[in-house]
Amino acid sequence: MSYESPIRETLVTGGKTYADVTNDILRPLEQKATKSWWFGFTLSALVLALWIGATTYTVMVGLGAWGINKTVGWAFDITNFVFWVGIGHAGTLISAVLLLFRQKWRMSINRSAEAMTIFAVICAASFILSHMGRPWMAYWPVPLPNAFGSLWVNFNSPLVWDVFAISTYFSVSLVFWYIGLIPDIASIRDRATTKVRKFVYNFFSMGWNGSTRTWHRYEMISLILAGISTPLVLSVHSIVSMDFATSLVPGWHTTIFPPYFVAGAIFSGFGMVLTLLVVGRVVLKQENYITMGHLDAMCRIVMLTGSMVGLAYITEFFVAAYSGVEYEQYAFINRAFGPYWWSYWTMMTCNLIAPQVFWIKWARSTPWFIFLMSIIVNIGMWFERFVIIVTSLHRDFIPSSWSMYTPTIVEVSILIGSFGLFFTLYFLFCRYLPTINMAEIKSIIPTHHADHGHGQAAHGEHAKKGDAVHG
Amino acid sequence: MDNKMLLGVYDNPDSTYAVTKQLVKGGYDVHDVYTPFAVHGLDRVMGVKRTRLSIAAFVFAMCGVASALTLITYASAIDWPMNIGGKPSLIGPDYIPITFELGILFTAFGMVGCFFIVNRMFWGRNTDVIDIRVTDDRFVIAVNIHENKTDVKALEGIFVTGGALEVRERVKEI
Repeated sequence: MSYESPIRETLVTGGKTYADVTNDILRPLEQKATKSWWFGFTLSALVLALWIGATTYTVMVGLGAWGINKTVGWAFDITNFVFWVGIGHAGTLISAVLLLFRQKWRMSINRSAEAMTIFAVICAASFILSHMGRPWMAYWPVPLPNAFGSLWVNFNSPLVWDVFAISTYFSVSLVFWYIGLIPDIASIRDRATTKVRKFVYNFFSMGWNGSTRTWHRYEMISLILAGISTPLVLSVHSIVSMDFATSLVPGWHTTIFPPYFVAGAIFSGFGMVLTLLVVGRVVLKQENYITMGHLDAMCRIVMLTGSMVGLAYITEFFVAAYSGVEYEQYAFINRAFGPYWWSYWTMMTCNLIAPQVFWIKWARSTPWFIFLMSIIVNIGMWFERFVIIVTSLHRDFIPSSWSMYTPTIVEVSILIGSFGLFFTLYFLFCRYLPTINMAEIKSIIPTHHADHGHGQAAHGEHAKKGDAVHG
Repeated sequence: MDNKMLLGVYDNPDSTYAVTKQLVKGGYDVHDVYTPFAVHGLDRVMGVKRTRLSIAAFVFAMCGVASALTLITYASAIDWPMNIGGKPSLIGPDYIPITFELGILFTAFGMVGCFFIVNRMFWGRNTDVIDIRVTDDRFVIAVNIHENKTDVKALEGIFVTGGALEVRERVKEI
């Protein structure tokens, strides 16, 4: 007998067979919706109603419904936009970057993380639309031949780059996600019992038949999609950061912004993935697929990216001091000790200091604590954007135009409501699509595990025979 | 008419791989192997040629880059040059982000479109699945039977000794 030393913890525990994987992951889809699902879905839908109400009110009344003023023209809406775009980045990072690095632990979490990406980008886009004040003119940033005096968009503007970046990001993420789903949709199709299910899943499975020739091409396009998504995800948040960095506002006008925003995006995205999965793995009974090893790995990434973001905060301060530009220096002193000091220190505590607890093994292996930390990370990253936007704007170059910004109830409702939009979509996803990529998970189960299952069945038979003999 | 296939159904990728290899070596006409996930190396054993989708991806990427540059140059330097602070209207570096994004967009959609076309996949297609368990936990090797050429008995033997759970005949999809 040979003994294989476990170099790494096994990715799927519980000695699952291929059929077990299919049964376990499709159970939430195939059984009747549970009470906890209805509870979560209803709650999210109610919060979504708040979003619909507040957004409708904004569109009907105009941006006067918000607390923005002449000095602070970007506030809650752009904070929320950057926050949600950032959340989305972990999905692409997990499925694309970790695929290129051959990190197999990604396979249990990539599906839900990609879904999260898509829903988060939908939330982000909604803020751009409502920020426009007149959303029916949302097509204006698109370079269309037009009747407005041959006026094209300004291709030198990062805001126009952002239109291209976000829409490319959304559509490519959607394609990547759907390509990953096709084999699993085919699995659901082949197990469907009702006519409606059969029709719908058959429609979206596109005639998938599991042929090796198809799989060969499938592997190739997955690799290329991962290859192009990796620079894409880096470019998207770099471009979002250029919305700020290419301006002349002290506190924004910084070359460190692109890498700093990307690190922050990955940080916040992993925070949200942890929020969803720490709960999801228990509710959907997927502890054998999303193991403590997975949570541990994600906590490490949170710690790493949190430290990178923290380093960027400190570097910004140093550069401001070193630059000798008094506007820049004042912007940073004001950020930390001015009227919005509380938001700055909330950000510092949540993003730089708090994640350092993940150096301790206990913190990385205690689910309730990880959940708590993930919420702290989400709060911290929301405040990061608030700090960057509001503290840099509220004290303008001329002291006579200094002002304070306070959100109105409408703005707060839109922010809270956007979580309703996100979670409503997420709950629907959990109910109608497999939250774990079954085809990929099956490929990382050791084949002797599959045999092991049969072995156990055989043992079972022996045992019964044995009993009979003894009896 | 040669429209029959013999199917060997397996429950793990290792024996599927071994049997396929043996069949191909033995000169059998392996129609296809159907698996619930991508079994690495199986395509090579079957002699599947490396797909040219990567070339297609490159071509689409270049199309995207060309379209972006054409659009931007036409709009901002030819059709309506704008004077912004006396700066030239044709500036290279500013065009990089959009050129890059459109390159990615065209690559993704073009390549995936080609993938669907070569596999004849489209929304709503009804497929004649070889065995509905191949999307769950079974691996099926399908071998074409040529009348008077294929030794069905020997083939069955290879299937069974390779660990097949079941061996059966099936009429090919028309």
